[in-house]
Amino acid sequence: MSDCQGLGDCDDARMQRIYEYLDGALTHDDIAEIKDHLEACPECFEQYDLECVIRVMVKRSCTEAAPENLKNSILDRIHSSNAV
Amino acid sequence: MPAIPGARPKVTVDLDAMSTMDPAVAAMHDAAAKEMTVDGQELDVATETSEERRVRFERDAMQYVDQLYSAAMRMARNPADAEDLVQEAYTKAFSAFHQYKPGTNLKAWLYRILTNTYINLYRKRQREPLQSNSDTIEDWQLARAESHTSTGLRSAEAEALDHLPDSDVKRALQAIPEEFRLAVYFADVEGFAYKEISDIMNTPIGTVMSRLHRGRKMLRDMLADYAAERGFKAADTAAAAGSNTQENRK
Repeated sequence: MSDCQGLGDCDDARMQRIYEYLDGALTHDDIAEIKDHLEACPECFEQYDLECVIRVMVKRSCTEAAPENLKNSILDRIHSSNAV
Repeated sequence: MPAIPGARPKVTVDLDAMSTMDPAVAAMHDAAAKEMTVDGQELDVATETSEERRVRFERDAMQYVDQLYSAAMRMARNPADAEDLVQEAYTKAFSAFHQYKPGTNLKAWLYRILTNTYINLYRKRQREPLQSNSDTIEDWQLARAESHTSTGLRSAEAEALDHLPDSDVKRALQAIPEEFRLAVYFADVEGFAYKEISDIMNTPIGTVMSRLHRGRKMLRDMLADYAAERGFKAADTAAAAGSNTQENRK
């Protein structure tokens, strides 16, 4: 489906590039290059944007507070093992 | 003492390999760590008493309980087991805390212990086939993920996905294979770098990258699928693309 080859010559290559970009796994030069491209290319930007949305969703959904008693149970265990 | 029934788990934690930093950087941090203070006093790990170590552990490590619990929920799949897992991991971390190098990434160190604890203890109990050490995972090639689905998503797609409830996101995550799920979790939720994930999961960086690639693709397809089920707009193309995933879930 990708017409644009600015980030790679196939969908997988493009997505890999976008992942690396979002994961902070690229050099400054690469980052600048991709940033420029995303600003100029609506097609690639869409893919990038969607990944951003998913990332935010995952982060939001998976942030859970531990049960109240868990911290205390851990501390109890640590204290008892320390006493031995 | 262990809340988990059965024999005392034999957990092998490779403590020497636990530094999540490259040696040059670690050396710099070691130097910095010597100047680190505990309540205004200089920290000397070698001579600290067990009481001092406990205080330091409580101060530095206990702040990550919520985060480790969230991760454990992605591993154990139910709250009781996730609690056991976190408790077990913290107990191990505490007993190995003298081997943790101050100034290195404590959170990543704890995550590695959690992951090891999970692999050695919990998953063994589940008697599920161990996926992570199989060669088939090592052999994953990015090209193989290519044929899976087409990513026929549109900009309105992003909006449609954004309307999905948290429960759908969790469900989708749980539905993708564990190695992919955890890699995605470590990267997207915790923001760990590839190198850190590779240390936590004890797997080469290339494998981390392919797991992320594959996992994200699966997650995206599944979410598009859920959006379609819920009748959110812009999911029509995704619905067609995701029909095979739908089959798999049933």
